[in-house]
Amino acid sequence: MSVPATMDCQTARAALLDDQRGRLDPATAAALLAHLEGCGVCSRAEVAERLLTEQLERQLPQHSASLALKRRLEAQWPAPAAPRPSARSRRWWPGAMAAAAMLVLAGLTLWAWPWSGRTDRLVTEAVNDHLRVLARAERLEVPSGNMHEVRPWLTGQLDFAPVIAFAGDADFPLRGGTVEYFLDRRAAIAVYGRRLHVITLIVARADGLPWPAGGPIATRAQGFNVRLWRSGELAYALVSDLDVRELAELARRLGG
Amino acid sequence: MNKRWYDFAAMARWPDDDPASGLGPAALAYADTLYNFARYLCGNSTDAEDLVQETYAKALRAAGQFEPGTNLKAWLFRILRNTWLSLARRRRGNPTVGGLDTVTPDVEPEPTWFCDDIELDRLRKLVAADIEAAVMALSEDARMVVLLDLEGLSETDTAAVLGCPVGTVKSRLARARQALRRHLRDYAP
Repeated sequence: MSVPATMDCQTARAALLDDQRGRLDPATAAALLAHLEGCGVCSRAEVAERLLTEQLERQLPQHSASLALKRRLEAQWPAPAAPRPSARSRRWWPGAMAAAAMLVLAGLTLWAWPWSGRTDRLVTEAVNDHLRVLARAERLEVPSGNMHEVRPWLTGQLDFAPVIAFAGDADFPLRGGTVEYFLDRRAAIAVYGRRLHVITLIVARADGLPWPAGGPIATRAQGFNVRLWRSGELAYALVSDLDVRELAELARRLGG
Repeated sequence: MNKRWYDFAAMARWPDDDPASGLGPAALAYADTLYNFARYLCGNSTDAEDLVQETYAKALRAAGQFEPGTNLKAWLFRILRNTWLSLARRRRGNPTVGGLDTVTPDVEPEPTWFCDDIELDRLRKLVAADIEAAVMALSEDARMVVLLDLEGLSETDTAAVLGCPVGTVKSRLARARQALRRHLRDYAP
């Protein structure tokens, strides 16, 4: 393939996705890079293209097949015959078990190591949900201060029953509820108030998410205070620009 | 005892004389991937489950035709896509409607971009629901090519799944992503 010494904008833009996917030969990649360094419009286009891929990979909800479907599919296929272990393989059994134990140990270490990075993703998503609540202003799906109205409505919109232990009071009045996506799943949102502050409670199924299993985690992101905790099969996140101690007080009333 | 869902040991010992049983564990390992693709095609879980089950039924019948060493994932996607088109044609009652190249393109030929910092910032602030809504707003063939690209299929494998030349995959993907950006602009805060 002949490589143009200089690349025009049309060729450069057509090559952006190939470059992202690593499909360009080195000479064309270098020509593209040179073009991007000298062309602000194509450089922005490159950022937009990369952002789009990042957003799709990071945020597009991934739907898993239900266990029932997997069992139906499994029943549909003939199982392969398992060969009997030979005497030779039986001699290796203790060694194999030790190796497996080492692998499990290594796996657990690797699982625990990037914990903060994985929690960051949860915090970011919780803040995103809070921002969406703020953008809705007063247009919540159930603009009610009565938990007996909010909770049944939420339950009707979800595939689980959200447990919300605190119905609101004069200190933290309930303002309403809605449903938002939390990463790949729908989550119950209850909105509380504190003076002029808005507080978003997110309740989602915890399965498949790296939710902190121990005590609550309190952190700060994008100027908001965030608390994460888990109770049984449910994951909870509380987000607000409220003072951290007041947020902790609401979390305490919610059982977090 | 139930066998494990991802039985990699079984995957490693495909018997030559029984392609169906040998292919089973490896094929079943793609159930989530295929279901996700089907879910985005159908838009609901019931139809997606039916589509995946029908796909596996066809794959089981055609297991002998699978060539070891080729891309099993792409092979399964091709069966799913063909099954989906058959179902769609049946639903529409017109066997000529629904071919990938007969669908009106999503977008005008001239590309448009998120061309300033404000728009790029809006793109960064999109959340999962916005992205999903924008993907679902694409035409079926645009959605397919975007999802296959996200699955990491090569252009050659995608072309085999969609039954079109590699060049068509390239142009179709570019148009689909352009349409996606246009939809996302509507959802961006």
